[in-house]
Amino acid sequence: MEKIFRLAALLAVWISLSLHSFAQTPWDEVMMGKGEICAALMYEHSSWDQYWEGTYLRQNANIGTFTRQMGMPMIAMGVSKKVNIIASLPFVHTKASGGTQAGQSGLQDLSISAKVDWLQKQVGPGRLLFLTNAHFSTPIGNYLSDYMPFSIGVGAPELGLRGIGGYKMDNGLVFRAALAYIWRGQTEIERDYYYENGSVYSAFMNVPNVLNFHGAIGYWAFDNRLRVEATYQNFNCLTGDDIRAYNRPQPTNKMDFGQVGAWVQYFVKADRGLGALAYFNQTVSGRNVGKATTIGLGLTYQFKVY
Amino acid sequence: MKKIYNNCIKLFLLVLIASSCIEETPNYYEFEGYDFSNLDPNGGTWKTILVTSPTQITVPAPNATSSAQYQAELSEMKQKMSSLTPDEQAAVKYWTNNPVLRWNEIALELAAKYNLIPGPNADGTYTLPNPANPQGPPAFPFAHPPYTSRMLAYLSVAQFDALVVAWHYKYEFNRPAPYQVDTAIEPAYAKSQLPSYPSDGATLALVSKEILVAMFPLETIYLERKYQEHIASLMHAGINVQSDIAAGVTIATEVVKLAKQRASTDGMAKAQTPKPVSDSIANAAFERFGWKWQNMETPQRPVGLTPLFGKVKMWNVPTVEEVRPGPPPAPGSADFNRDAEELKKFASHMTIQQRRIANWWEDGLGSYTPPGHWNKFAKEAIVRHKLNPLRSARVFAYMNTAIMDAGVACWDTKYYYHYPRPIETIPGFKTILGTPNFPAYTSGHSTFSAAGAEVLAYFFPSEAAQFRAWAEEAAVSRLYGGIHYRFDAEVGTTQGRNVGSYAVNRAKADGAQ
Repeated sequence: MEKIFRLAALLAVWISLSLHSFAQTPWDEVMMGKGEICAALMYEHSSWDQYWEGTYLRQNANIGTFTRQMGMPMIAMGVSKKVNIIASLPFVHTKASGGTQAGQSGLQDLSISAKVDWLQKQVGPGRLLFLTNAHFSTPIGNYLSDYMPFSIGVGAPELGLRGIGGYKMDNGLVFRAALAYIWRGQTEIERDYYYENGSVYSAFMNVPNVLNFHGAIGYWAFDNRLRVEATYQNFNCLTGDDIRAYNRPQPTNKMDFGQVGAWVQYFVKADRGLGALAYFNQTVSGRNVGKATTIGLGLTYQFKVY
Repeated sequence: MKKIYNNCIKLFLLVLIASSCIEETPNYYEFEGYDFSNLDPNGGTWKTILVTSPTQITVPAPNATSSAQYQAELSEMKQKMSSLTPDEQAAVKYWTNNPVLRWNEIALELAAKYNLIPGPNADGTYTLPNPANPQGPPAFPFAHPPYTSRMLAYLSVAQFDALVVAWHYKYEFNRPAPYQVDTAIEPAYAKSQLPSYPSDGATLALVSKEILVAMFPLETIYLERKYQEHIASLMHAGINVQSDIAAGVTIATEVVKLAKQRASTDGMAKAQTPKPVSDSIANAAFERFGWKWQNMETPQRPVGLTPLFGKVKMWNVPTVEEVRPGPPPAPGSADFNRDAEELKKFASHMTIQQRRIANWWEDGLGSYTPPGHWNKFAKEAIVRHKLNPLRSARVFAYMNTAIMDAGVACWDTKYYYHYPRPIETIPGFKTILGTPNFPAYTSGHSTFSAAGAEVLAYFFPSEAAQFRAWAEEAAVSRLYGGIHYRFDAEVGTTQGRNVGSYAVNRAKADGAQ
């Protein structure tokens, strides 16, 4: 049943995408022109040695330092000047330095998003921007979500809608805020009983929905060849239970975090050809998640096909 | 603009389609009350386990249905039935006419809630749950598999005995159910000829509450609420009047005393030993066999889980030594190497099916444990076969005493042989399941499961093959999980089957067939 649903949902998204509208990271204001394609290869390394069990920040020597590495091909395409689509499929690998449990690795979730540029209006010394990004993702392969903290994803289909508002000044300064509501479905697990504030007799877990805020102050320099940003994001599950004392997490948990970060992107030639990017995120607050430090590196190549 | 509109509609439809595909996540087994396949009118003659004879518990003769007192009770019940709140109606539907199943579910839920292993203190020491200070931290109890097996055994035995006594008096006094006396009463459950004095529901409610309060002292308020709800539902359902309930409570009070008496002297209080005792057990094994198991966690736990659970009083087996298997192959021997190589092969070439089996049977920390898993199977079989509460309690009593005996036998073997786990003997070995805090040989899952399966196979012969196949799968699941060798599982299965046969033999002679 779930497979049918996934296929149907995937199909629906493809149809809606092919019929009309919609482009770079799902939360920024960057759009590409019609026929432009940007292919990117990203690598991300994230690690933590403390995690929040509920709201209690703790260590666990049987995990030691937890490391999550991700390699992600990503492709963005300008369907039109106003509509861009982005697709990505990460490969994730997890392991712990302590304890005796095996990590997990595999393809995670295929994500497709469509970004629409609704408004660009000169107001004073800059342009006022409004964009939306609708995205859908679904697990690929058969990784087990109910193997936290090692599982590479929550194993549930996801549908999100994000509004992005910004003000880009003529001198290159950008102020941007994005807010997304992410509806997350169920994840199929490999047992038919689990505890979530009481007994649950089911082989499915409800993965909580999320409100995700992303804010940035950025600066474009050298003729739009260098982009630097300071970022903050807040990820909040709207429901969910806490990790119980010295117990493992599970996909039903209320996972929240706040992250500060920085983003640098450099295009060798203005808006074509090779580019490189690097980012850094530090988790500063959280609940039922690791206090992670993340660095990401990427290479992008942009070209025009029509 | 039209495009936006269309797009919104599509998004909305997608969410709608998605929502309709959501699987249910119920908090209890959803079944309707059913017609009992048999009322077992001679159930009062069945052999009890704790009670010597039903007549050792005195129940006063009830008022005749024609008496003014009974008629007043009947009016009171009808009065209550006529003004039920939605919550009260929901409670009647929830409890059903086989509330044995609901109390068993409550027990499993508490097992899952309390099955949390204490973590280390900041200085690297561990504090153990203490019944004298249940709040902790850590909270008491740690409802690990031995604890849970024992909890379920006492619960089921007390339920069974109390119901045998209730049945004895039901058929001695033969006071009909309210709806047989007054045909204007429409009970919430299927009508039956089962005499209603004393109330089987009330005796079950009190026995279950009292045993569970003793086992989970922090849950007193929760259990009292469940108890009151259950008791009230008996009148609301139109199946008992007040004096039926009072007589049921009288029986329960006496049975609970006997159960608590046995529990206080069965040896469980000494099962979790201090470190010197634990060390001497390990050293005895080392001197005998040349190996010993060690905890591999960081910081290392100083004592394994309940080293002396193997000395706890058994229910159906006279002495634990008679169900203790011979020694496992020595580490490094050809037999050992073969089984260790097999584990390495599973770990490096795990199929989805093997992973699924490992997880399906994990029943690890935070779950209702393997004994809980078998109770779930029993519950489902009971509904399929439409057993009455007495016969249901009998299935649980024999199965749960067999499972606890299997736990005792397995733990005796574990600490007698003190055999190391694969993560100790195979360098660099990583597992997909957490390695438990006790020796490997024999496998607890295998032993518990085989014992449970033997008893269920006896009670439900048409499903015997399925129960035994499940027990085999539970055993092999530990190999896929990387935490047991094949010999742990195979010998454990044989041991469990052996222990289970003691319970089956006892059941064969209890007068119920």
